[in-house]
Amino acid sequence: MRRQERLFVAACVLGLLALWEAMVRLGRLDATLAPAPTTILEALIRLGRRPEVVTSLGVTAGEVIAVFLVAVPVGLFIGFTLAEVPFLGALLRPLVNFLFGVPKSIFLPIFILVFGVSIPQKIAFGVFTTVFVMIMGGIAAVQSVPRELVTVSRVYGAGRLQIVREIYVPAMAPILLESIRLGMVFNITAVLLCEIYGARDGIGYRIAAWGENLQMPQLYAALTMVAAAAVAVNEGLRLLEARLCSWRQKT
Amino acid sequence: MTRAQVAIRGVSQRFGVDGASVTALDGIDLDVPDSQFVSVVGPSGCGKSTLLSLVAGLRQPSSGSVLCDGELITAPMPRKVGMIFQEANLLPWLSAIDNVAFPLKLRRVPKAERLEAAARMLDLTGLAGFESRLPHQLSGGMKQRVAIARGLVQNPAVLLMDEPFASLDEQTRMVLGDELLRIWSETRKTVLFVTHSLHEAVYLADRVIVLSARPGRIVDDVPVSLPRPRTFAMTSTEAFGVLKDRIWQHIRHAERA
Repeated sequence: MRRQERLFVAACVLGLLALWEAMVRLGRLDATLAPAPTTILEALIRLGRRPEVVTSLGVTAGEVIAVFLVAVPVGLFIGFTLAEVPFLGALLRPLVNFLFGVPKSIFLPIFILVFGVSIPQKIAFGVFTTVFVMIMGGIAAVQSVPRELVTVSRVYGAGRLQIVREIYVPAMAPILLESIRLGMVFNITAVLLCEIYGARDGIGYRIAAWGENLQMPQLYAALTMVAAAAVAVNEGLRLLEARLCSWRQKT
Repeated sequence: MTRAQVAIRGVSQRFGVDGASVTALDGIDLDVPDSQFVSVVGPSGCGKSTLLSLVAGLRQPSSGSVLCDGELITAPMPRKVGMIFQEANLLPWLSAIDNVAFPLKLRRVPKAERLEAAARMLDLTGLAGFESRLPHQLSGGMKQRVAIARGLVQNPAVLLMDEPFASLDEQTRMVLGDELLRIWSETRKTVLFVTHSLHEAVYLADRVIVLSARPGRIVDDVPVSLPRPRTFAMTSTEAFGVLKDRIWQHIRHAERA
């Protein structure tokens, strides 16, 4: 975005917040349902100082990281295998495609029955949800490698490992990073869903509790925290993608 | 005394297509002396590209043998044979100079050395000053120049060119043809040049090999005795026309069959 466009967007957001604030102060908006932005900001600062809230954020972050560390390598490995071994691909890809389309949330009660309401349950469910995105990403990444470049490398004497390092890795990088980004969205969504559905700690657990007790400023403050964290992860990965894949033709 | 730089001896190539066996090349015998520029023409699907991929060592013939410099080709021989394709096939994440240096990188040549060699090749192909451009920042003709520089960077004795100018516009094709002849006269490579253009085949080569429709057999071996350097004016001489016509009679016959 150009500088002027950024300024315009920022002005719009600030304008909306100001309008919201004004409506609450003039009594046109019910403060119990939609507390004023300044009230939310106060709650945000207050919550940020409370150790149990910080601990909850840490629990959720830990679960998300654990899911990432398991789902990304496992999913990509399965994806690469399905793309590179034609026999397995023909056999299993329809199954993966079907499962990809099924909403994973319907399996949550099963995970609770198997693992109990626990941190392993959140991680297992998160992996189950995220791994399919990574499998699809792995398959797409392999398929995005131009065959001609592999031929060229062979003509110039490249061995198997050199083809992987010099052609496969850089050619797949854009799609890999994109699927990791998409995977993170599924990952965070799955972990929070688990926590809201039933948990002993985690920011999702707090969100559910504040919602049930109609503690609106706290609820909105928590939403702001989660949204900010998710956006930060997403934008961070996008930045990495832009830096590593600047060779891609801008359209 | 010339020796056969590339020797193709009784080569046949069969492919299995949907359970049926298709013969792409049938009993090809061809000796190419050192420093000769040979064009290969023939109707579509006659196995011209297959012939080049055999010399490149990308596949093995079903029967017969292909030798380079007296050595049997069983795998790619990057230091003896360079190859240029219809598309430039540059690595899009590497700059022009890194693309040219890529074959040397595969051979683990030290960085300074390979960049120096690549810079010399870019100079030779008229791309000095474009070293750090990425492929998508180059025109089609410039990309193909980078590909030629990459093919030459290891100083191979043999250069295989598989319709290298086919996806360029006519003007660029003519300019690059002249550039190729200049580079060839400076480096004296043995060139096997596959093309669909009879004009290009005659204009560039010392000799034109004409293949028949599938299964590809050599139906004519046409020496081109036009003086060098070749000039655009020669293309309108009678001798040029006679050569083109002789080749065209074979192709027309084959395309109709």
